[in-house]
Amino acid sequence: MISNEVVRHLQAILPPHSLLLAREDLKPFETDGLTAFRNTPDVVALPETEEQVKQLLAICRETGTPVVFRGAGTGVSGGALPVDGAVLLAMTKFNRILDIDPLARTARVQPGVRNLAISEAAAAYGLYYAPDPSSQIACTIGGNVAENSGGVHCLKYGLTVHNVLSIRVLTIDGEEMVIGSEALDSPGYDLLALMTGSEGMLAVTLEISVKLLPKPERTQVLLAAFDDVEKAGSAVGAIISGGVLPAGLEMMDKLAIEAAEAYAGAGYPLDAMAILLVEVDGTQEEVSEDVMRVRDVLLASGATEVRTARDEAEQKKFWAGRKAAFPAVGRLAPDYYCMDGTIPRKALPAVLKRITELSAEYALPVANVFHAGDGNLHPLILYDANQPDAWEKAERLGADILELCVEHGGTITGEHGVGVEKINQMCVQFGAPELLAFHGVKACFDENALLNPGKAVPTLHRCAEYGAMHVAGGKLPFPELPRF
Amino acid sequence: MQTKLSESFRNTPEGQEADRILRACVHCGFCLATCPTYQVLGDELDSPRGRIYLMKQMLEGAAITSKTLKHLDRCLTCRNCETTCPSGVQYGHLIDIGRKIAEQSVNRPLAEKLQRKTLAKFLPQQKLFGGMMRLGRMAKPFLPASLGSKISSATAISKPSHSITQPARKMLVLAGCVQPALAPQINVAATRVLDAIGISLFEAANAGCCGAVSFHLNFQEDGLDAMRRNIDAWWPHIEAGAEAIVMTASGCGVTVKEYGHYLKNDPAYAEKAARVSELTRDLSEILLQEETALRTWLQKRGPGEAKRISFHSPCTLQHGQKITGVVEALLTVAGHTLHPVSETNLCCGSAGTYSLLEPEISTQLRDRKLGHLSQPSPDIIATANIGCLNHLQSGTNTPVRHWVELL
Amino acid sequence: MQEIIDRIHAAESPLIIRGGGTKNWHGEDTKGEVLDVSSNTGIVSYEPGELVLTARCGTPLAEIEALLAQHRQMLAFEPPHFGSGSTLGGTLACGFSGPRRPYAGSARDFVLGIDVLDGNGQLLKFGGQVIKNVAGYDVSRLMVGALGTLGVLMQASLKVLPKPQSEMTLQFECGEAEALQRMNEWAGKPLPLSASAWLSGVLTIRLSGAESTVQAAHAKLGGEIHDRGAEFWKGLRDHTAAFFQDDVPLWRLSLPSTTPSLNLRGKHFINWGGAERWLKSDASASEIRARAAAHGGHATLHSGDKSADVFHPLPDALMKYHRRLKQQFDPRGILNVGRMYSAF
Repeated sequence: MISNEVVRHLQAILPPHSLLLAREDLKPFETDGLTAFRNTPDVVALPETEEQVKQLLAICRETGTPVVFRGAGTGVSGGALPVDGAVLLAMTKFNRILDIDPLARTARVQPGVRNLAISEAAAAYGLYYAPDPSSQIACTIGGNVAENSGGVHCLKYGLTVHNVLSIRVLTIDGEEMVIGSEALDSPGYDLLALMTGSEGMLAVTLEISVKLLPKPERTQVLLAAFDDVEKAGSAVGAIISGGVLPAGLEMMDKLAIEAAEAYAGAGYPLDAMAILLVEVDGTQEEVSEDVMRVRDVLLASGATEVRTARDEAEQKKFWAGRKAAFPAVGRLAPDYYCMDGTIPRKALPAVLKRITELSAEYALPVANVFHAGDGNLHPLILYDANQPDAWEKAERLGADILELCVEHGGTITGEHGVGVEKINQMCVQFGAPELLAFHGVKACFDENALLNPGKAVPTLHRCAEYGAMHVAGGKLPFPELPRF
Repeated sequence: MQTKLSESFRNTPEGQEADRILRACVHCGFCLATCPTYQVLGDELDSPRGRIYLMKQMLEGAAITSKTLKHLDRCLTCRNCETTCPSGVQYGHLIDIGRKIAEQSVNRPLAEKLQRKTLAKFLPQQKLFGGMMRLGRMAKPFLPASLGSKISSATAISKPSHSITQPARKMLVLAGCVQPALAPQINVAATRVLDAIGISLFEAANAGCCGAVSFHLNFQEDGLDAMRRNIDAWWPHIEAGAEAIVMTASGCGVTVKEYGHYLKNDPAYAEKAARVSELTRDLSEILLQEETALRTWLQKRGPGEAKRISFHSPCTLQHGQKITGVVEALLTVAGHTLHPVSETNLCCGSAGTYSLLEPEISTQLRDRKLGHLSQPSPDIIATANIGCLNHLQSGTNTPVRHWVELL
Repeated sequence: MQEIIDRIHAAESPLIIRGGGTKNWHGEDTKGEVLDVSSNTGIVSYEPGELVLTARCGTPLAEIEALLAQHRQMLAFEPPHFGSGSTLGGTLACGFSGPRRPYAGSARDFVLGIDVLDGNGQLLKFGGQVIKNVAGYDVSRLMVGALGTLGVLMQASLKVLPKPQSEMTLQFECGEAEALQRMNEWAGKPLPLSASAWLSGVLTIRLSGAESTVQAAHAKLGGEIHDRGAEFWKGLRDHTAAFFQDDVPLWRLSLPSTTPSLNLRGKHFINWGGAERWLKSDASASEIRARAAAHGGHATLHSGDKSADVFHPLPDALMKYHRRLKQQFDPRGILNVGRMYSAF
């Protein structure tokens, strides 16, 4: 519990409507987009000025109180899960777009601005902000920076780290720094890369400048239906080897199609075992050529049907279904658990096959939604949290899927972050030296581990415990550490 | 989402409905983006997801205070979140249940109680409200701005004149509670247009407020009584073959279309209510359905004065009734030019009695909306609901009209 | 690798990491024994369908580019070579990117994973071989441009891209201000731009993409076709162009692309659509730095008298964290000490 003394300090700097203390008000903040993990915060702060944030961090530093940052709370790795005895600092009131410079193609925004709001504001100039996580309608750019969020257009346009020019941050030491600049590089180490995706463990972001891109002259979306998931998986590799770099290359399996169609009415073929959505963009001529090439590859890969969106409205519909696919599976089961493993594309057919087997073994349905072009898988494990043991089962299945990804040369998280959810799998992904190096980096910026403690990087002891349960290939991870 | 409803709600029909709705929510947070109060306040507790959580804990048996009630009160019930929600959470129904329980569990301050009761009892009474409006117009110079600005000036109108040969098709129309006093010309215009295409509109004696005002102020039983009264008033006409019940205010429309839902647990009315809901149409739906006749009439009549119009689609039209693009199309067919408007999905802040109960948020939303509607500046702002019309007009000199007046 | 590890373990004083030795001139002068890493060569894996290549850091850039070219792919950040022996490791340690950078991304943008030896000779593997990876802090990208001060780069995985089907270089006569305006305006339009530069009254741009796209853009923009376009861009990339051939100090100014003419005495070669400006000038370091900083950028001394710092000085707060990071990765102060800033 947070002490009364800390609360008194906070009351001195924040107006009553910016400081939530009653359990009734706190409970709705107990979880983010990953509801399987919940912990009622002791205090929620909703500051309105940078000065309040500075004073709040100073109080936390002086009293040794941890801080957990939160944006819109749409993250799906539990990165904003409250920590006992910590202040939950929500940055949602910082929601102003400060400046758009159409000639320099940059936008300067506060961290609580929604991802999509940037593109909406830039649209008047024919520009947009490229990273588009599925939650872009609601998620904040501050959260995007913390998680290094991706989206459906990463293959061609990169993740958040490729599209942020500079951030102004505040460390727990009270140092305010501009990292990066509106030039294309900055002197010294690339701290911008280090901060991006650091899951609120190194500093809090106060302001962000992002790069805006010209809207492509033309965009076209193809929808291909397959009667077999593996065929669809192979088609993905064939498109890329063919020399086309699609702007988006997404795949959904039967269950996901069913759910997304129920929400979006996008006209997805309900009898298909998998569909691919392929977006090509560029100049008129380029798009015409690429559409023909992609269509040929899809048909040669065994697509039973290839459709090209008739107009922009249909393109939007094709995407609307995909972007809402996660929550839309809420129509199929009361709860879902979303995985985020990434694998080399060539492993797609084998991994998909194994996921199907695992799904049968655990008797839990899995709906598959993939950023297929990046090899980024989002298997959605469907379960009913009101059933006893259902969550535990889902969690074990999820762990198996992530470890399957590592086994195939991939990673446990492509874009959602580690948070609390994948912390055990970090032990599978990395060895002790790397984990120690991560802790070392953390200590450089936050010596007393006050920022989002316990997230993203496991302690070696935790790994030892986890390793005792998971003996991969007969090899005990971290044999040098004592068991508990 | 996982739920553990408390003993007292687990087996009630309301509790079970709430549980079903709560379980559909996956806490993704998409609804935050389109919630007007969250846009203004930036606090999760003033977002749909936050309110869902507040209601969840209440239904799970946690003690609640006026805090929960305040956040539920602040909801505009615009149901923008329902349009955004990929999981199909029926937020509107949930908050009806949540408000009722919160009202029972928390003791409101007396002044608030009185204010709400006055509105709930007074507004729905057409005659009383009409009389008060006339008084109000005289007293306008002496009233505080927040109230005075809502009193529109009287419009001279002529009684609707039916064509000499009465059309064979008949449809009921709801007069409503505040509209006859604030803007009687709307139903006159609707009658004129429908008459021209061969449909005769008539009001049923004894029909009145649709019930929304009292219901949403949490005098839910009063609201249900108003619904029953309207059903009784309409039933003989329905049996006599009235083709439809036409709504000229989308706020009433969304309510009447849900009579079947509201009265589903009333054995005496459930069936009739469902039938009434089934027959209810927004005026725009009727005209869309009669498009050919409308075009013929417009052609015969010749072009009217073409205006540049910004259309504000009321939440009750676009989110509640899921009617989008229809009014815009009708206005275009009539020869007007429609301006593109940004943030069309967002509420104007009127929301029934909300503008009187939460003037601060309401005014912020109104001004934000008017900003979008006047960029570029139109000749006329059109809308489809009397509440929005009156509210928007209170903040601008540009005339705000019901769209049917422009046909 | 073991040999390198042993050298680090045994070292009692700073080591100077050296691959191909083509960029010895870059950074502050340092003292110490040379740690030659040029024998750590070889392409470990490359699958064109994955768009990923993994190679040991001593591998010559030329070898990598030749292999990629066989499969019509490329390193999209167009790394400068500055000589025939330049290696992958040196390129990444310096973080250099060529003319395609503003349109395609920088060296660090294409790094997916890096294995490094830290100052204790411990092998650390960060990132991986997949395009999206957010597990753990992004230490692999931190290594790019760190000039070997945080670790010896041993192996790297890079994202590679298909080569454009065709390229065309166009030239326009115009003054500096107009060139800056055009470069920025065009970058905000859906044009297949892949490089843009200005020198002495001539704006030069490169278009890349499908044949039809390039032709259509040419028709739209006009301009004279440059017959030796590839040579032009290589001359700018590797500093073999005539502009770079004299003894006047060479500065690199990195600026917001819309920064107007700097009015610093000397010759200017504008690259990166206005965001990179090469300056041949004997103006004082302080004057040049002040001008760059006033526009929100920074200046690096590439050749000339190094008595002034090579790199733009850091604000105190940033310097504090730089020193801590150095201490973290190289606690004994063995690796390329003082190459970036004399403080570490």
